[in-house]
Amino acid sequence: MPLPPSSYRPRKKRKLSLSSSGSNNALIVDTGNDKHIPAFPLVSFLWAARAGVSQWLVLPLILMAVGLFRWAVSLWGYSGFQVPPMHGDFEAQRHWMEITIHLPMSKWYTYDLQYWGLDYPPLTAYHSWFLGKIGTLFDPSWFALDESRGLEDPRLKVFMRATVIVSEYLIYIPAVVNFLRRYTQMHGVPVWSASIALAAILLQPSTILIDHGHFQYNTVMLGLVVASLDAILAGRMLWACIFFVGALGFKQMALYYAPVMFVFLLGICVFPRRILIIRLLCISMVTIAAFTVLIAPLVVGAVSTDGRNDLFSVPLPPLLQALPIELDKNSILYAPLLQLAQVIHRVFPFARGLFEDKVANAWCAIHTFYKLHRFETTLLQRVSLGATLASILIPCCIIFRHPRASFLLPALSTVAWGFFLFSFQVHEKSVLLPLLPMTLLLAGDGGLSKETRAWVGWANMLGSWTMFPLLQRDGLRVPYFVMTFLWAYLLGLPPTSWEIYRSRPSSDDSNSPHEPHMFTKLLHSCFYLAMVAWHVLEAFVPPPLGKPDLWVVLNVLIGAGGFGLAYLWCLRKLLLQWWMIGSKVPTEQDPRKKNQ
Amino acid sequence: MVDLYPSLAQCAIVATAFKVLLFPAYKSTDFEVHRNWLAVTHSLPVKEWYYEKTSEWTLDYPPFFAVFEWLLSQAAQYADPAMLIVKNLNYDSWHTIYFQRATVILSELVLLFALSRFVKSAPQSTKQLAHISSLSILLSPGLLIIDHIHFQYNGFMYGVLILSIVLARKQSTLLYSGITFAILLCMKHIHLYLSLAYFVYLLRTYCLDPKSVFRPRFGNIIKLGLGVIGVFAIAFGPFAYWNQLLQLKDRLFPFSRGLCHAYWAPNIWAIYSLADRVLISLGPRLGFSVNQEALTSVTRGLVGDTSFAVLPEVTKEHTFALTFLFQLLPLIKLWRSPGDWDAFVGAITLCGYASFLFGWHVHEKAVLLIIIPFSLIALRDRRYFSAFRPLAIAGHVSLFPLLFTAAEFPIKTVYTILWLVLFLFVFEQVAPVPDRPRIFPIVDRFSVLYLAVAIPLIVYCSLVHQLIFGLERYEFLPLMFMSSYSALGVVGSWVGFMVVYFTA
Repeated sequence: MPLPPSSYRPRKKRKLSLSSSGSNNALIVDTGNDKHIPAFPLVSFLWAARAGVSQWLVLPLILMAVGLFRWAVSLWGYSGFQVPPMHGDFEAQRHWMEITIHLPMSKWYTYDLQYWGLDYPPLTAYHSWFLGKIGTLFDPSWFALDESRGLEDPRLKVFMRATVIVSEYLIYIPAVVNFLRRYTQMHGVPVWSASIALAAILLQPSTILIDHGHFQYNTVMLGLVVASLDAILAGRMLWACIFFVGALGFKQMALYYAPVMFVFLLGICVFPRRILIIRLLCISMVTIAAFTVLIAPLVVGAVSTDGRNDLFSVPLPPLLQALPIELDKNSILYAPLLQLAQVIHRVFPFARGLFEDKVANAWCAIHTFYKLHRFETTLLQRVSLGATLASILIPCCIIFRHPRASFLLPALSTVAWGFFLFSFQVHEKSVLLPLLPMTLLLAGDGGLSKETRAWVGWANMLGSWTMFPLLQRDGLRVPYFVMTFLWAYLLGLPPTSWEIYRSRPSSDDSNSPHEPHMFTKLLHSCFYLAMVAWHVLEAFVPPPLGKPDLWVVLNVLIGAGGFGLAYLWCLRKLLLQWWMIGSKVPTEQDPRKKNQ
Repeated sequence: MVDLYPSLAQCAIVATAFKVLLFPAYKSTDFEVHRNWLAVTHSLPVKEWYYEKTSEWTLDYPPFFAVFEWLLSQAAQYADPAMLIVKNLNYDSWHTIYFQRATVILSELVLLFALSRFVKSAPQSTKQLAHISSLSILLSPGLLIIDHIHFQYNGFMYGVLILSIVLARKQSTLLYSGITFAILLCMKHIHLYLSLAYFVYLLRTYCLDPKSVFRPRFGNIIKLGLGVIGVFAIAFGPFAYWNQLLQLKDRLFPFSRGLCHAYWAPNIWAIYSLADRVLISLGPRLGFSVNQEALTSVTRGLVGDTSFAVLPEVTKEHTFALTFLFQLLPLIKLWRSPGDWDAFVGAITLCGYASFLFGWHVHEKAVLLIIIPFSLIALRDRRYFSAFRPLAIAGHVSLFPLLFTAAEFPIKTVYTILWLVLFLFVFEQVAPVPDRPRIFPIVDRFSVLYLAVAIPLIVYCSLVHQLIFGLERYEFLPLMFMSSYSALGVVGSWVGFMVVYFTA
């Protein structure tokens, strides 16, 4: 607290220290003649904080500013607005609140499945129940059973938008802030750079557009994943398990991360010199316990007489049909089994096709040139499984052999890209999953250097660009342009500035590893030009007759190519780090720093 | 070497991104007012502009603003010609909204230009302070709430005002300052409230010799006179030729309105009304006679004539006399310090204060008339800043009732809190120590206490009150609390600044 100003003490002018650590060099450009300028606009905005302003001031300001942008995006349209009869994701979420607060648990996963039947794991259901209860306090008609379908009250919209932002500020934001604090300390990144990275990460356009524009609760799941990573950095492995089970229990999409988490936790039990059976046991017990707690309410709900009757009245889930043995229907365990089978059947729709709609992954791209309908679904499923496994094999092996926390982010992004590109039933929104760990790389050592910033920024631009057809349907064209341009502008990326690809002749050799490679410059430039050209085409040129989807297909093809590159870049980053151990140079002592 | 980061342009870009995202936000009837003016100016000959009354929102701004609307309407026909039809009342297609909101953002470039001129005009030693003040004006929550959500073109017109203030800084551009201000008066006549300060300053500094009052500089008098009269002739000449000046007078100065505006702008009369209400309940016990007729009046405190039940009625003449009196005081000092630009800006600020606090039918939006000139000198030293602080809080909080919809609640509160925390902290850090000691150090304690009350009050007014009483009952209570609270802050800051001004 400042002293009472009655006594007019002159303020101390703090000497602005230009720290010589690697991460700051990338932020402050020395133009010679003793003049320092910020490297990109986001640095300018935090310029005054570089002398070490208290985090108690900087952090709330950043959180308020990014919150304002979130809320402003939420003023726009949402998925399925004025599109009867099914509407969209907004209606789905509202409908789940409606059914969870009015129906017994045994009916949650069976009630009128044709109209947005619940197909997310139990934690989403509990979350919906809780929000529904709160919403009923404001206005019960928002969630009246069956009566409220397709409701579009503006006040309901405000309530639903508020639930998204509150959930995010309770889960995702604290998780990211804590994670970054630990992660940057681990890498020796100055607090000022960490604040800049935080602002950049929280302004990631795709996450904001999908959650606050399109309408979903992805940040809850992503936040739990980040919390799990934070627990790993803190060495609290059991908490990491609990958070990760929470993430899986909220949205099955967290499975994209599961292989890395699994092999990492296995690795830390196996590879520190001797095998730690106790640790392994603890981890598995806690994981099982967390899952049990997660499904316990559903099981209890199924045991009651009403619950049994409810469950017996619906068709047998295919999972149980496939069982070769006849089950005893009178057993007390039969109803819970039925319930769980139904949940799994709803959550993992194996029966659907290889991909839905148009999504920028390998299958959709191949399908454009070589129709995949000709093969049987089971064959496609196997090929897809094989390709996914092949793509994630290397990162998983590295993590298993060297379970180091610093490997986690590149490994998670590589594996998530692998899943996005090759797995089954991918949505365009799933691109948020690989983008999250990749974007978190901005906070690492040299994360804001030109090279990392160029790649992470480019992947994010490409990610939101591939979602443009989706966002446009939701009436989110303007927020899309505003948020992506803002991100590009703040991080100094094309199309607002090509500075990032320009190397400064004056800089000495020590900077060169953080300058983008010639090849990178060329590739990125091509992609940016393609994106701009695509927008021009899409806006002004009608697609040729007979090929109404041509622009979308083009988007998918370019996107899939770019995501493949992003996969390779993350893999390369991981391999480089791994190779550093191999070459016996301790990662902490970067030779670059010794010079200075 | 001073660091001017983030630059004005950088802030403007990010702020523009935010403002574009606010396109679908709540818009008040002022949106329709301006759409109607677009239609009127576009489709009717100039002769009929001030006679057209299809819409209840008739043209009541001076001619230059009408010309500005006409210019906009030339572009509007490419966006959506339907908005230019006078009969299309309450027309708000998406294209209309995009167009009108975009014109607000684009016209704010004038403000950006004026602010950059302001920073340039500042001497090297105070350049950084000028830069910080400019950022605070550019990012002002007042402009965001009034212009970009509620809908008006204040940013543009305050840009012109700042430009004319900046031009007054150098002897060589004083003439242009006067002319610019005359143009501004012909765009929005609310700035008449500031005109006395201009009159005194230009007369003393430009028209008379700085050393002696008795040596008029005739060349300057003629130049300035011709310039100002020329501007007014261009603006009002055609209407005078058509014999429409009386009609213009009726349109521009509608005196049929009541003392207080619907939301009770936070001025002396808000405190007066509050005192009256308190006395209604206390009156019988204390032996006052309560005017029963006023008590049952439905429009109490709303548009129309306010009548007071216990306290004496206030007439227009009273308000004019008080306004004039309190404008006169700073002008005397201004007269005696020729060429002192800081005293000039201080006098503008105090004229703004006097008219806001004592004026007839004052809008809460007019608080910007004080805040914006004050921002230019708030960083002169810590004494100025401590007078500015309660105004910054009260002035912006008093704008909250303008936006009453749930969706805009987080925007107005979070943005204002963000601005207050950021700029009050930065101002506190950079404001230089004054040459002479302060007179009332206790004022600082008061302002901390004042700040502390703000948050529970906002929470009560926007949430708790509804939970306790519901939406319908005692709906005037939060408004009254807010305006009295803000009035206290504005009055406190006015007294504080008067003291600073006269002792500086």
